[in-house]
Order: sequence, then C-alpha cells, then structure tokens
Amino acid sequence: MDISVLFFGVLAEITGTSRKHYREIKSFGDLKQRIGNDFPEIVHYNFRIAVNNKIVNEDPLLRPDDEVAYLPPFAGG
Amino acid sequence: MHLINGPVTPGVISEIIAKGGENKECGAHSLFVGQVRRDQANGKFVRAIEYSAYEEMVITEADKIYKSILSEFDDVKTIEIIHSKGLVKAGEISLLVMVSAGHRDHASKACAKTVELIKEKLPIWKKEIFEDNSGQWIENE
Repeated sequence: MDISVLFFGVLAEITGTSRKHYREIKSFGDLKQRIGNDFPEIVHYNFRIAVNNKIVNEDPLLRPDDEVAYLPPFAGG
Repeated sequence: MHLINGPVTPGVISEIIAKGGENKECGAHSLFVGQVRRDQANGKFVRAIEYSAYEEMVITEADKIYKSILSEFDDVKTIEIIHSKGLVKAGEISLLVMVSAGHRDHASKACAKTVELIKEKLPIWKKEIFEDNSGQWIENE
C-alpha cells in the first residue's frame, strides 16, 4: 500500500524533507524499517508517531493512503 | 485556534479583546501573551524563533483542549488561541490565549491551564535563531 510520511522539526532537518511517499508498504514494521534504512541517523532522536493526526503507542494497523507523522518533542508557546 | 504567519501583532490582540465584548455574559477576560525571549546560549543572543507546526493535528488537538477546559471550568464561555508559525523576532509576540468567563476566578485558572495544555499537546516546534544565524532546536520541559 502507499503511505505518506511527514517529518517535522529537527527530523525534517536531518532527513532533508518534510514529506516522503512510500510504496508497497506491507505493515507498520515494514515502513519503520524502510525509514530507518533511508535515514539511519533518525535513531539518535526522540520522537512519537502519529497516524492520521493521532498519536499511536503501539504498532498500528496501516491502511492504504494513511498519513504517518514523525513528531519530535513539542515546543509550542 | 488560529496559526498565523509571523508575530501576533498588537492589532490582532486588540481585535480579539474587542470581539470578547460581544459576549455580554462575561465579566472577565484573562489573557496570556507569550513573547520571544532574547535568551543567551554559549555567548550568543537569540535573534528570533522559527516556529513550525503539524497544522491539521494542531486543529484537532486544540479542539480537545477547548472541550477539556470547558468541561473543567463551567463558568468559561469562550477560549481564543492564536499561535505564530514562521519567524518571530525577540521581543515580538508568538502566542495569545484569551479565556472569557462569567467571573475572574475561572477565567484566570482556565487561562493558565490552557497555556499548559498548549505546551504539552500541540504539535508545534521551535528553533532558536542566534545573531550569527546559527540555530538550536528547543523542547518544552
């Protein structure tokens, strides 16, 4: 399935992109592995993951065209 | 909830206060105005903060904040949040919260709680830009 991945804050800076499209994703684990392969430095940063605007704590079941976001610690205000 | 490009100007703040007057059940408006501080790190001063946001999620999370505050403080009538995105210079305003209530007790307590929830829940990021144009990402405590 196709999945859009968004990167924010310091993660957009280190990956050099704010949005990347992945094709033929089998599962969330598969997606995480592909992202880790593309951007190995990402493991050095703290982040949470949201799927379609909601933070997920466990590996979610992805559906085609879901939007996955990598969120560094928040800093509003 | 509004995300605006650049600083929250005194003109915008005046408009929000004027709009508060439309609700004549309210006897108190409590405001929080957040300003970019000219912090110093490693001998360099902060010139500005660059804000970025996951805008769709900011809107959904702000809606949850509104519901939470309105259920906790039953005297609160309205909540306005305006937050900057993009570049805001030191001394300029990046956040305005105005909570309007029947009386001052709930207005001030709910305003303080709203600011805490904004810092905890809204997917917004900031990078301090120093006078030599180097940068540093900041996290809320």
